[in-house]
Amino acid sequence: MPDVQVTIDGHQVSVPANSTVLDAAKVAGIDIPELCAHDALKPIGACRMCLVEVEKQRVLHPACTFPVSEGMVVHTASDAVLGARRFVLQLLFSERNHFCMYCQTSGSCTLQDLAYEHGLTHWEFDRAFPKMPVDASRQFFVMDHNRCILCRRCIRACDELVGNRTLGLKNRGADTMVIADMDIPFGDSSCISCGTCMQMCPTGALMDRASAYMGATDEITRVPSRCSLCSVGCGVELIVRGNRVIRVEGDWDAEPNKGLICEVGRFGLLHERRQRVRKPLVKADGALADADWDDALQKAAEGLKSAESAVVVSGFSSTEAAQAAVNQLPGKKMALGGALVNGDNAPLSVLDETDLIIVADVDLTEGYNYRMASFPIKRSARHRGVRVILLDDEPNGLDAWARYKWSPDEAERAVELAQHAEMPVIVYDQHSAALAQELAAQLPKAKTIGFAPEGNTAGLAEVGISEPFANDGFSAYYVIAGEAAEVPQELMDALAKADFVAVQASYREPWEDVADVILPSPVMFEKDGSLVNTEGRSFELKAGVTTRRPSEVEVIERLGALL
Amino acid sequence: MPKITSLAQLHEIHQQYAPLLDSRTNGQGVEGGERLLLVCGGTGCHASRSEQLVADLQTLIAEHGLEGQVRASITGCFGFCEQGPIVEVFPDGVFYVQVKPEDAREIIEQHILNNRKVARLLYTNPATGEQIETQHDIPFYQRQKRVVLRHCGLINPEDMNEYLAAGGYLALGKVLAEMTPETVIQEIERSGLRGRGGAGFSTGRKWQFARTYESGEKFIICNADEGDPGAFMNRSVMEGDSHAVIEGMAIAGYAIGASQGYIYIRAEYPLAVRRLEIALDQAREHGLLGKNILGTGFDFDIDIRLGAGAFVCGEETALLNSVEGERGEPRSKPPFPAQRGLWQQPTIVNNVGTLANVPYIITHGADHFRTMGTETSKGTKVFALAGQVKNVGLVEVPMGTTLREIIYEIGGGVRNGEFKAVQTGGPSGGCIPSQFLDTPIDYESLRDIGSMMGSGGMIVMSDKDCMVNIAKFYLDFTVEESCGRCLPCRIGNKRMFEILNKITEGKGTDADLAELRDLAQVIVDTSLCGLGQTAPNPVLSTLEYFWDEYLAHVHDKRCPAGVCEQLLRYEIDPETCVGCTACARVCPVSCISGAVKKLHVIDQTRCVKCGACMEKCKFAAISKN
Repeated sequence: MPDVQVTIDGHQVSVPANSTVLDAAKVAGIDIPELCAHDALKPIGACRMCLVEVEKQRVLHPACTFPVSEGMVVHTASDAVLGARRFVLQLLFSERNHFCMYCQTSGSCTLQDLAYEHGLTHWEFDRAFPKMPVDASRQFFVMDHNRCILCRRCIRACDELVGNRTLGLKNRGADTMVIADMDIPFGDSSCISCGTCMQMCPTGALMDRASAYMGATDEITRVPSRCSLCSVGCGVELIVRGNRVIRVEGDWDAEPNKGLICEVGRFGLLHERRQRVRKPLVKADGALADADWDDALQKAAEGLKSAESAVVVSGFSSTEAAQAAVNQLPGKKMALGGALVNGDNAPLSVLDETDLIIVADVDLTEGYNYRMASFPIKRSARHRGVRVILLDDEPNGLDAWARYKWSPDEAERAVELAQHAEMPVIVYDQHSAALAQELAAQLPKAKTIGFAPEGNTAGLAEVGISEPFANDGFSAYYVIAGEAAEVPQELMDALAKADFVAVQASYREPWEDVADVILPSPVMFEKDGSLVNTEGRSFELKAGVTTRRPSEVEVIERLGALL
Repeated sequence: MPKITSLAQLHEIHQQYAPLLDSRTNGQGVEGGERLLLVCGGTGCHASRSEQLVADLQTLIAEHGLEGQVRASITGCFGFCEQGPIVEVFPDGVFYVQVKPEDAREIIEQHILNNRKVARLLYTNPATGEQIETQHDIPFYQRQKRVVLRHCGLINPEDMNEYLAAGGYLALGKVLAEMTPETVIQEIERSGLRGRGGAGFSTGRKWQFARTYESGEKFIICNADEGDPGAFMNRSVMEGDSHAVIEGMAIAGYAIGASQGYIYIRAEYPLAVRRLEIALDQAREHGLLGKNILGTGFDFDIDIRLGAGAFVCGEETALLNSVEGERGEPRSKPPFPAQRGLWQQPTIVNNVGTLANVPYIITHGADHFRTMGTETSKGTKVFALAGQVKNVGLVEVPMGTTLREIIYEIGGGVRNGEFKAVQTGGPSGGCIPSQFLDTPIDYESLRDIGSMMGSGGMIVMSDKDCMVNIAKFYLDFTVEESCGRCLPCRIGNKRMFEILNKITEGKGTDADLAELRDLAQVIVDTSLCGLGQTAPNPVLSTLEYFWDEYLAHVHDKRCPAGVCEQLLRYEIDPETCVGCTACARVCPVSCISGAVKKLHVIDQTRCVKCGACMEKCKFAAISKN
């Protein structure tokens, strides 16, 4: 269809025929306030903040849902429009408790901003003062119904984007309330703590425990970076105040996650309970003790030089650190988390295009890895009727979304169905690579998404570290561990037996019992560098905060110089 | 019953069954034909044990060995609910009113066996005091024109043969065999039929939109979510003439290119649901639903979807969400359902009344239909007449009939006091004062006087009704039924309700009145769906026409109709009081003082207006005003 010409406040713009008035206004550079609308969500026209006057229409219409048509003339700042907006705001402020001075979101609140913008200086209507509950049953965030304006962004995000559909509504009219599942405490619900609802909330109704009252919009900086905790490599924004990351949010413009991140990415590091390594530690008389950098490096170099040593690099290291290890450190290089399993990986976006997904013996909802990838699977099953087949003998977090669940031994049943699909997608990880290959061999149309372990295993492979750890009888190890927490038992056993172990790690656990030397390593908030995600895309890691400790690469270079 | 596979066969069957109705339509029995007792099975009569009445009649028929000569059968609503249950005897044409199961024996033994009419069960014209024997002589029916209700009170809704006898499905047959979808739409458009759900959009044009959108699948939905308090037009049609709705839907399906229909009906209408289910089964058995209907290659079937009784689900987009299994909340329009409706496919949502008109128009032609009604509104309209009117019931009149004709000639006038207002259109309508009684009603005229056609509720109010309280009553309903999606309706109506509450409690101010008017106007302008956009109508229309009542409440702290509790004053008449102390003893706040055999006095500052004293006083010494 050809573009249509629309006049908004006297500006003529040409926009695609399927645009809404709000889209057209954005093209024309005209700001229309919105509360319930969000670029990532389907518009519903509920809050009435974006009402505009469309010529030849009887009533005002919401810009977010009203489609443009040829020759349409729109007024966004007429008296009727401004009056309606003020009215809507007045009503909103009269509904529940919106006393900004006590709200943690004051200063970062869309509702508050709009009130200032439209000159609300007092309450025009009597306030109802309803007593609304506060649901503080979740670990990471709190739902305060007193601040809720029922825009339903949280509900729509949970449903449309995450496909989890935990949040919903009960009652109707003025008694409407957001609920979790069948009105049970949020903390007992099917919520997966991805926090997308909270990131969506335009008021203070959903509040992050860790960063509450820690900084309003004009007190923080947003640093776009990447989450390096798993191989999806989600785009994030680090919310920083006073050289401290107070919160992590998904970056709406980033691929492949488009604003969504999982519990691990959003809360994992900020709620990490393991003890940070802030100074070099050297074992003396059986216990680790603080040491200065020169001594610790010297000690590490001595230990590694005196025996046949190997270097084990985790996928939490940046590509630059891995490269430095290859260049500077002697000995065999092995990957801590395991090998890269995927050859020609499809981008995650195929999960939103496919008509059938086979999840091959992997739980995408558990542990540290690939949780974000479960969101497109859930929303595809929920909204596009995509058939999800689980091949798994164990309970799987996707059970409720799966149309079929069979044992991996019955893979041929999945093949039978998938043969008739337009574009089947097979999802797997390193443990189920063989099963996935077997499936793919029988399904020529299939696309595969294999998840590499840890964040940057693909980056390690690019610099030549592609061999998984194997116990070849080395007597000394240098482990570049980063944030690693889950370490293969085989490695821990080897380290326990080795004569000398030096670890470059962010946390003392699980290294304190096996390490002779621990050198501090930055966490992802503190790192600059790059990583390659499981799709093979290269991303930039940007430090949100600065530290006085040397970088990953610098430590490796200084150690290398001593060897 | 074998499937009917062609139009010719349908005609044959119609001819075969047509005599079934002879005794009812021309008032003459067939030689040796049976006598028939038609008992109203409509909502009101059903509640007054009419089903028991039919059973009793049947028992008595058997008792007297009259099987084969006399038959008792249920039929749809006669509309004269005030006088129900109703029994009409054919071919005699005798019309009995207020018949109880206990009267069955007298009807059988006197009327049937001895041909003596049961005089005490005949309708008495209150104006003249004379008894009236036949339906068409009763004033209630004389101004009516039954089109939508054409089969109610005529056929047994559970017997498909009677519907076929009445020419049922011939319209569908004609459409499938002789007309193209385009000519069907043209005929409907030319007839001037407009949506009977209230908004009054041209049905033909709506169908035309849905027809033009290309899609693999389209849907016809019958909106049977009748939710206005007191309204039962749709219910009566579905209970009394289910097949007409099905036939109308099939014709609509053919016109727009749909092969699936849904009837969205509230679960509170179990009888209508049951009769629809029976009718659907019968239609399928006869091959009038399903694949290759009448051998024309047209496929169409209908499923029932039960609503949970939310008023807002009568709004077509909320209805769509509900059918899809989502929360019943409206969607933003455009896109309109005709373009993107059920599961995003082109969908027509038509009211029961609209669809029931369709076979009539096809059978009798658009030209005939156009002879009824006004310039802009053709055909008839069914109203549920209720409130302070003598003849409560279901009335169907040609568009253009005046309110006065309906209320006074059909309705028999005001029941309790003087006429004050009539409220049309349900909770979304307005209150119309007496100066508009002679307005010929159609979609436009009602809108022009601040009300609306709506689905057809018509509630008469007398001078014993307080208009502020009435506005509050309707708003209470809307507040309760607001879905909560859009803000003006969710909060705005509640704020209005609170203000009205203040006023009826005597705490209102001039500022409240001004705010009420502002709120009402902005809610109309800014709400998402029809519910919100029309919810302030009762307030706006009473502000317009009964401003003095508002002022009395606000300025004089007085309720002229004596309805608003908090504004009442209970006073003891010194002349009548004997000092019995009964009132003082019953007063829950002990605000009545006085010694035995002395005059008692109510302390107005402490009185909670509970009315207990007035109820207790044996000497009628206490009055409220």
